[in-house]
Amino acid sequence: MPAASPSFKSGDALEALFRPKSVAVIGASTAPEKLGYQIFKNILDAGFPGMVYPVNPKATEILGRPCYRSIEAIPDPVDLVTIIIPAALVADTIRQCGKRGVRGAIVISGGFSETGAEGEALQNQLVAAAHEADVAVIGPNCQGVNNPYHPLCASWPLLTRRGGVAIVSQSGTVGAALMDWASQEELGVSTFVSLGNRADVDEADLIHYFAKDPHTKAIAVYMEGVKVASKFLAAVRQCHKPLVVLKAGRTPKGRKAAESHTRSLAGRDEVYEGVFRQLGIHRAADLEQLYDFSKALAYLPRPKGPRLLIVTSSGGSGILATDVAEVTGLDVVPLPDEMVRTLREVLPKHCIVANPLDLTGDATAEMYRQVAEAAAGHFDIVALIFGDPIPGASAVVGTDPLQLVIFLGGAEVERHERLLFHQKGIPVFPTPERGIRALSELLR
Amino acid sequence: MTTALHAALQEGRHLLEPEAYALLEAYGVPVPSHRLVTSAEQAAAAAAEIGYPVVAKIVSPDIVHKTEAGGVLLNLTDGPAVHSAYRQLTERGRARKAALRGVLISRMAPPAIEVIVGLTQDVQFGPVVMFGLGGIFVEVYQDVAFRLVPLSEHDAAAMIREVKAFPLLQGIRGKGPVDLAALTDLVLTVSRIAEAHREIVEMDLNPVLVYDTGLCVVDARVLLRQAAAPQKP
Repeated sequence: MPAASPSFKSGDALEALFRPKSVAVIGASTAPEKLGYQIFKNILDAGFPGMVYPVNPKATEILGRPCYRSIEAIPDPVDLVTIIIPAALVADTIRQCGKRGVRGAIVISGGFSETGAEGEALQNQLVAAAHEADVAVIGPNCQGVNNPYHPLCASWPLLTRRGGVAIVSQSGTVGAALMDWASQEELGVSTFVSLGNRADVDEADLIHYFAKDPHTKAIAVYMEGVKVASKFLAAVRQCHKPLVVLKAGRTPKGRKAAESHTRSLAGRDEVYEGVFRQLGIHRAADLEQLYDFSKALAYLPRPKGPRLLIVTSSGGSGILATDVAEVTGLDVVPLPDEMVRTLREVLPKHCIVANPLDLTGDATAEMYRQVAEAAAGHFDIVALIFGDPIPGASAVVGTDPLQLVIFLGGAEVERHERLLFHQKGIPVFPTPERGIRALSELLR
Repeated sequence: MTTALHAALQEGRHLLEPEAYALLEAYGVPVPSHRLVTSAEQAAAAAAEIGYPVVAKIVSPDIVHKTEAGGVLLNLTDGPAVHSAYRQLTERGRARKAALRGVLISRMAPPAIEVIVGLTQDVQFGPVVMFGLGGIFVEVYQDVAFRLVPLSEHDAAAMIREVKAFPLLQGIRGKGPVDLAALTDLVLTVSRIAEAHREIVEMDLNPVLVYDTGLCVVDARVLLRQAAAPQKP
């Protein structure tokens, strides 16, 4: 069976979804508690750089903008529509949009295949209408799209921070949580896409698209399974950016008695594990790893090798880091004599000059800088664990060896320094284990 | 080989053990010396020719799980034992009303570390190759690794190293490593067979005995796709 070569959504269609010139919100509402109001408001508040039209036959104006009865009533061309109306009306609406030259639709509305047979039928009608009208559809039953570089926030909550990770999520909340964390940390995202039921646009289309998007340095995907395996494989094989996937649904195995032993052992998850390794996909075990891995892969260069020096102000943190380094294949090698001699001259006597190197509780940013400098040529990576309130930590910046920054137990100083690091594009990890684990992905 | 596959497809059955052995031999995979016999006298003669100890296995299109059906008798060390094994197996076959093609007499391979190499179809991804260590590692811990067909040499080497029991193959308690190159080759061969014969949907090489030098596939179960409706011209 020769697999038909998969076709991806055209770049043009996806441009309309992520970088439209104009957008209409069908089902925009005057009631602040409704999504139709919040999304319309978020598009305005994020500073969308084109015309935004509310569509609702029962309203005359929303947030000071004149409201239109239907998409046909809008005099000017519309690139993208965001749809928040009852499921039964969506297919026809998409047909009307197609006639008006709309290229993309984000269907927020639920009530489709996730609800049962009746919803499934409505979803099939939606897909047929989308193909007929040549409109690319995201959703239905999704949380929308947020591209802070355009900016276009056809989603909620309102987040505008720009960054290097594209988030593609089958679950709206999971994706929004990642974006929220990235926003709080002032790292931001390149684009957030909630796929919902994936009736039309799927994860493979988006991996294909973000592989070429100049703002995207790494792609983070949450999914419960691939939609079309051959298309997914093709997209991943063509993608040369780091791809991190959290695939949920590891259980149940449902191992039935089978003719062959091999088959009875081929649980879905084991096969996914093999496929991911074969394709070089970074597999996250949980949401935290999805966040940490994509953060490390987007913002840190690949180290030259596995030789790791751990510098800390906290003995315990140094041991925790060493434990994770050992099991993830990093090399916590002893300090060379030459480096020990150099550091003994510059560091206070009570510092433990070994690996991990413990600067102890009165460590200063300057000491970290001296150690990192002395490590050049001897180590590939230096993990800087700031385990106390250490002002000026964010001034310790270097590229040889590669610096991994971990900050904990530093209260207000830590929060301040973390943001300073992030503004320089240097990621900071909140615990030794998470930092080292994420680092180890760079060497895979 | 193609004729055996063709016949099995037509008859809607799995490959019989001697056919599966022949398929593997055609791809250069070592299997034990063996003869298919249809009488107790032939069985004893075949055993003498092959050299003791031998194994006797029932050959029937109706029996896929030979061991579970009591269709395998191990470690037969002389003529009378082979004689009686032949009679026992044919009686068991008749009791199950299974069509009998004969009994396979094969050389009993010396014991070694046992591994499993398999092929199955994933509903979404298509053909995948499996690797694991035999016995409790597969049965209890489900310690196995998978890769999509076709595999690269890197994939094959990586999946062997991925299972938790891999240190056993590297050698423990003073034992040297097993022949990892031969094992990598075997995994790649299964991938090649799957590519060349799309009609082969599942395969269990279980156990495969792996030695310091070389390996031997002791048991091979090869399942074919169900005969499809005739293709339109």
